[in-house]
Amino acid sequence: MGIAEFFQHLTNGLTLGGIYALIALGYTMVYGILKFINFAHGDVLMVGSYAGLFIYNALRGDASLGPWVLIAFFLAMLASMVISALLGVTIERVAYKPLRKATRLAPLLSAIGVSFILSNSAAWAFGTNSKKFHYPFDNTPFVFKGVVITPHQILILSVSLVMMVILKIFVDRTRMGKAMRATSLDQQTAMLMGINVDRVISLTFSIGSALAAVGGILIALDFKVYATMGTMTGLKAFVAAVFGGIGNITGAMVGGILLGILETFGVAIFGIPSGLKDTIAFGVLIIILLVKPAGLLGKDEKEKV
Amino acid sequence: MMYARMEVLTMKKSLLITVALVALISVSVFAGGSGETGPKIGFIGPMTGDNANYGILCNNSVILAVEQFNAKGGIDGKLKVTLVTEDSEGVPEKGLSAIEKLSSSDKISGLIGPVFTGVAFAVGERVQNEGIVMLSPSATHADITSIGDYVFRTVVSDGLQGEVAGHYFYEKLGYRTIGVLYAKNDYSQGLFEGMTASFEKAGGKMIISEAFQVGDKDFKTQLTKIRSANPEAIYIPNYTAEMAQILEQASQLGIKIPFVSCDGFSNPDIYNLAGDFTHGVVYVGPAQVAESQAYSKFKSDYEKKFGVSPDSFATNAFDGANILLAAMEKVYKATGKFDRKAIRDAVAATKDYQGVTGTVNFAENGDLVAYQGLYRVNGTTPEYIGTFTVVDGVLTQVD
Repeated sequence: MGIAEFFQHLTNGLTLGGIYALIALGYTMVYGILKFINFAHGDVLMVGSYAGLFIYNALRGDASLGPWVLIAFFLAMLASMVISALLGVTIERVAYKPLRKATRLAPLLSAIGVSFILSNSAAWAFGTNSKKFHYPFDNTPFVFKGVVITPHQILILSVSLVMMVILKIFVDRTRMGKAMRATSLDQQTAMLMGINVDRVISLTFSIGSALAAVGGILIALDFKVYATMGTMTGLKAFVAAVFGGIGNITGAMVGGILLGILETFGVAIFGIPSGLKDTIAFGVLIIILLVKPAGLLGKDEKEKV
Repeated sequence: MMYARMEVLTMKKSLLITVALVALISVSVFAGGSGETGPKIGFIGPMTGDNANYGILCNNSVILAVEQFNAKGGIDGKLKVTLVTEDSEGVPEKGLSAIEKLSSSDKISGLIGPVFTGVAFAVGERVQNEGIVMLSPSATHADITSIGDYVFRTVVSDGLQGEVAGHYFYEKLGYRTIGVLYAKNDYSQGLFEGMTASFEKAGGKMIISEAFQVGDKDFKTQLTKIRSANPEAIYIPNYTAEMAQILEQASQLGIKIPFVSCDGFSNPDIYNLAGDFTHGVVYVGPAQVAESQAYSKFKSDYEKKFGVSPDSFATNAFDGANILLAAMEKVYKATGKFDRKAIRDAVAATKDYQGVTGTVNFAENGDLVAYQGLYRVNGTTPEYIGTFTVVDGVLTQVD
């Protein structure tokens, strides 16, 4: 394999990983606070993508490129973040909050139910065929010494990076972030210290869901919008979150990027047949659960899940 | 956690089945009201999902054929034929429950479809056992008609498509090396193997073949590997959703290697999904009949009724439906009933049927005696290159 091909695979892997990381953040934040896997996360991503698509198409009208289209794209992204955040908070209020004192299994099952409701409703309302999300910019690739990178890939990498850094700063440096960390450590004590736990949880869901909307729209540009788009992507992002250490924000980033690179290199370098590409992620999941159940950056602690 | 997710998947499936059952029951309740009617024919194809366009276009043809047949008085001038359409979503399991319903509840006299090769394999076994004649407008895998004597098709077998493709790419387009990106399904894999065999027999070399799962959206890894192997052309025997994705991502990766494709490319949906990326693609498709009057009439009737143009599979479905209807009428006139075996024999006896696809004859095994057309896409418009077939291993231009 030549140097150019190696870097090409690396570029492809990094972009794929950037998306996984962005979505994994939502899983990991919710897990960090509530200790449960929000299986409806991928479907929130899907709803966010549809919302973004419709708003974007309505705003841009017949225009295909130009400054207005970029603004329309940006506005559609913001609006879909707000819609997804509201959806995320609503789901939490309706489907998870009443179960907060029930067994650990109950909210999980509820999440699965929400996932079905969202994806089936979308299929019913919008049809099951893919809808094209037109690029708001000229996606002609740049070539550096035989390695090709598209403006879209650069956008994915930079948006993911910026979002992750902002989130990290928010959680580590702000009062609200401190409240989140406190809630994550011990809900009861946090409540006694005067932290409004309900608000913290709502905030967690809205941030996670807004990030999912961003991820969804970034994927949709390349993979199009369809009712089941959240299923596989959500599953992969979940693996990424576990890989990095679920509940750990840096872990989600590292896990996502590594998973993207592993998937690409697994086929390209280790010679795994390309038809088996999806099995790599789940192979990784099994290995990590066997060898280091807390994930790469997680602390080992005994706990029943 | 994986365990929990596995349960989710199973639950999803059983939920779908429940929904399908409820739908089935309500359909049969509503259909049960009418009094004495004529015979029924069935149609199975993907009516929803990413590949729905293939099913809908074919089903339109059958609707049109039945409607025109009934307008002329129906069977023997008195019995109207009813069409029952079932959605397979392009999935074999769904196809099986569809044929189950059509066979036992609707008691159809014959079947048009299934549209997809994978579904046709499953349903073909069933119609063979039940003794229902089946005419697929689009199941192209070479082995489909080997299922048995009740299985026919009004589409060219991949055997021929792959043979013409391999020879044409080597001899006329002058490619000596080729790469393939195919899907892990019967249709795609069948074409890949057929084309490769004939391309290599002609003297060329298939230097790289990459696969993907149906439903995949990211082909960058495979395309990067193919780009490095640098074949003279890339063959993509797939369905439109995947081909559109491949063409777009290939351009993103700066791949300038020309693409060649199969009859899946003749579905106009490709131009909605892929736009200008289709420019320059050469594909093997249905042979064009010299604008016969029958075809123009069919095309204009179809467009008037449905507001869209028929694709090649839909054109095949129209002939299939008419052959089936003619066979049913012939049997009814001779015996006064609709014996499934007699209808099968009447279909097999079809001789020089003048349809919208040209002259239709069936070979001994149920295959269409046929030719292939070659197309080159200019912008987003396919242009016809010519009609070809392979006689004794030699590529021959027919017109």
